[in-house]
Amino acid sequence: MMTLVAKGLSVSARLAGQTVTVLRDLDFAIEPGKILGLVGESGAGKSMIGRVLARSLPSGFVVSGGSLAFSAADGKVRDLVAMDGADLARLLGDRIAFIPQEPLTALNPLLTVRAQFDEHLARLGVPAGDRIARMIDALTQVRLSAPQSLVERYPFQLSGGMCQRVLIAMAFASNPALVVADEPTTALDVSTQATIVQIMRGLQRDHATAMLFITHDLRLAARVCDEIAVLYAGEVVERGPARIISQDPQHPYTRALQAANPPLRGPLTRLVTLPDQMPGLSALASLQGCRFAPRCPTRDASCETASPELRLVAPGHWVCCAPACSGSRPAVPPITRRSAEASGSEPILVVDTVAKHYPGKRDWMGRRGQGVDAVKAASLSVRPGEFVGIVGESGSGKSTLAKLIMGLEAPTAGRILIDGHDVTAPSSATRSIRLGTLQMVFQDPQSALNPRRPVERLVTQTMEAARSGASDAERLARATALLAETGLPPELINRYPAQLSGGQKQRVNIARALCVTPRLLVADEIVSGLDVSVQAQILNLLLDLRTERGIGLVFISHDLAVVRYLCTRMLVMHQGVVVEEGETDAIFARPQHPYTRALLAAAPPDELDSPWPPAPVQETLDATA
Amino acid sequence: MAFLTLQLLFRRLVLAIPILLCVSALVFGILRLLPADPVGMSLPPGATAADYEKLKQAFGLDRPLFEQYLIWLGKLLSGDMGGSIFFRRPVTELIAKALPATLELVSAGFALGVIVGGAGGLGMFAMRGGAGEHALDGATTIMMAIPEFLWAILLILFVGVSLQLLPFIGRLGPGIQLPPPVTGFLLVDSVLTGRWDSLRSALLHLVLPATALAIGLAPLVMRVLRSSLLETVQDDYITQARLRGVSERRILLRHALPNAALPAISLIGVQGGFMFGGTVLVEMIFAYPGIGNLMVDAVRNHDLPVIQAVALVYCVLVLGINAVVDVAYMAVNPRLRLAGSR
Repeated sequence: MMTLVAKGLSVSARLAGQTVTVLRDLDFAIEPGKILGLVGESGAGKSMIGRVLARSLPSGFVVSGGSLAFSAADGKVRDLVAMDGADLARLLGDRIAFIPQEPLTALNPLLTVRAQFDEHLARLGVPAGDRIARMIDALTQVRLSAPQSLVERYPFQLSGGMCQRVLIAMAFASNPALVVADEPTTALDVSTQATIVQIMRGLQRDHATAMLFITHDLRLAARVCDEIAVLYAGEVVERGPARIISQDPQHPYTRALQAANPPLRGPLTRLVTLPDQMPGLSALASLQGCRFAPRCPTRDASCETASPELRLVAPGHWVCCAPACSGSRPAVPPITRRSAEASGSEPILVVDTVAKHYPGKRDWMGRRGQGVDAVKAASLSVRPGEFVGIVGESGSGKSTLAKLIMGLEAPTAGRILIDGHDVTAPSSATRSIRLGTLQMVFQDPQSALNPRRPVERLVTQTMEAARSGASDAERLARATALLAETGLPPELINRYPAQLSGGQKQRVNIARALCVTPRLLVADEIVSGLDVSVQAQILNLLLDLRTERGIGLVFISHDLAVVRYLCTRMLVMHQGVVVEEGETDAIFARPQHPYTRALLAAAPPDELDSPWPPAPVQETLDATA
Repeated sequence: MAFLTLQLLFRRLVLAIPILLCVSALVFGILRLLPADPVGMSLPPGATAADYEKLKQAFGLDRPLFEQYLIWLGKLLSGDMGGSIFFRRPVTELIAKALPATLELVSAGFALGVIVGGAGGLGMFAMRGGAGEHALDGATTIMMAIPEFLWAILLILFVGVSLQLLPFIGRLGPGIQLPPPVTGFLLVDSVLTGRWDSLRSALLHLVLPATALAIGLAPLVMRVLRSSLLETVQDDYITQARLRGVSERRILLRHALPNAALPAISLIGVQGGFMFGGTVLVEMIFAYPGIGNLMVDAVRNHDLPVIQAVALVYCVLVLGINAVVDVAYMAVNPRLRLAGSR
């Protein structure tokens, strides 16, 4: 008996008088004790499925066809789409439980863990006297230490990982038949992700729960799931056993996803990118034939007219692609990494044992609190054309280090040199040295770009700082050149940020930093908010900039694979300390510091045969964190 | 919680000292700029220039301004606010009589404003998108468009004069004796001494002036609470509660409302201070014997000691209500209670 069977599930939306099919004809099934992964980039419709289950579609969206047959342990089969709303509400939180994406905001900030867990148990009909014991038991199962004192805390007193464990404990408290986990580890650090996956899998296996695991991360899905369905623009383009989908994908989109993901081991080749991005809602309406065809590297004329159907290519393996499509893989050139020695020049930037101490707040009697050492004695140097990666988890001090380099904060100790000039203390003199040499690219292009300025004014913003002031013609010419350099179509020059896609915004963000032809970019998590295929485009753009302009880069990221792809040298930061530094390849091959080893072990490896998550390593990481 | 409340109140108290000093100096200084002659006003007609000088010396008005201020401050600290020139009575006695009336009025207006504003905000949210919301929205616009003293006059004309539903002059109806004074608060004393006739009359007399005051608070609370609720229900924990099957009613009252109330409480703190200012006109219009009316009489008669004292009392009241709102805010928001104890 399957726990959940979707048949021909379709969702449509009314958009400017047109009906757009957002989810088209989805078929999938999950049996008890199994995990089905729904994998896709943003806009694929993967979260829409969870919203159909909970009947919380955005206004204007309706289920236009199909069924979702759900059967719990009582053997009754109910259609979640057709059933009465009140009956469905009774199933939610009891038979069907949800694990959210953002654990820190998914708990009410004004209520203790106990109050919220108690409310949930009361709703499940647990008598008042038994609730605290049930709570402690459930929290122990998710490996939270000292649950008795933890329940009295408020969410803001807990870390993201702890909140997620509480939410997992609540989800499994009713022993549900189905758990829907929507990107449950996306907001968490690598090491926390490993623990959360371990806990979730453990509970799911023990209770023989069916699970829907929604993620953008094909590599993670391959690790977590039994079966994977890959979604593109509201359609399942490929479905099959996780091992096969991740190792021998047949659909050109799945292959592209895999090719866009930089590997953690093995030879590095230039990432293969797809042009453009997934069609948005308005584009879907006018799209004929295969929805992937406009981006497909192997399309032919028939793809643009006929919609392909899912067809069986191997036992249990379905692909939605025209049979003519052979899907030959294009040959990719290996990437060349110019090492620091090869360029052989003096460093542009030298950071010499800098530290940043934030003093604690004074209390009402004027006594100072303890304060935080955000960065303790960090050193690094960057030569022209050198890409240096800084890796660390949240709170490691990597973003503070970027601010110190940029002069946005003043270090409390140490020196910062640019071309041999001391620019340690931020002042107007050091500012002008910095501005001509360094530029920063910010993490979130959404908030880094002024929404009221057109692209032309955005990318040439730094020209306003010059005392002379650039003429409009100069700015237009510079903007046109910058768009070409960052691979943006020239017609975007008069658009506003709201009219751009996420990838385009990040390119504009980079173009703006390039305006004054800096020799060094400081980039703080600039690809972490992007989809894999867009991420690959940006990474390749950075490599091209190095080839063409010999630009240097300080690349701050939590993503080891991305740092390995881009950077010749890397630093590992942990709690404000640089614990390891060296050639990227050497660190990946022979990590010296236990934290680096733990961090490397926590990232899901590409090879499905190597065990992950590694339990003993995990415990050491918890101990150091 | 109790300890933190005390700590907060203590901190407020310490901070209040410099504020009160500044206010007292400001009031003292500005009043000296008035073309008022308290000495001349205190003298009987036909007094001589020698009498004038004598009284001036007696009042201490011949000394430098700074010295005068210090003398006044010194007396104030020992509980002596001086004597009223116009009423010929100690200022402390006048304030002790008028302050309870104002406190009763402000409490009633404050409670009414918070209750109506809170209920209205919830109502507007519950009826969002419907005709009910538009009606309430229109009502708040009308309430805010008309200043409270004009509301006071309109209420008197419609409810008091035309419909004759409620009394609108003073604190008690004619022929009703004051209850024996215990606390000075009319409502409390009536209850304590079992004087139900004076309790009823006092309550009826409170309705119109309290409503006029509440109109300055309720529509703002309504609007802030509504928009804050609209934002709060988009939050993740609301979605997550819904996905746990928590009932909509419970989601609104237990999860959304306390979170949405935080900005409303901050607003109440600011507006609560303004409400004391509103009492000046409202008390005058309703002939309500509170410190607002006392202030008006004092200003009219250039009664400097009374003006100074009442201004300080207002300052203390505003600081007091701010402290009360701070405690309420802290009670609702654990982040303030537990800051730093991660």
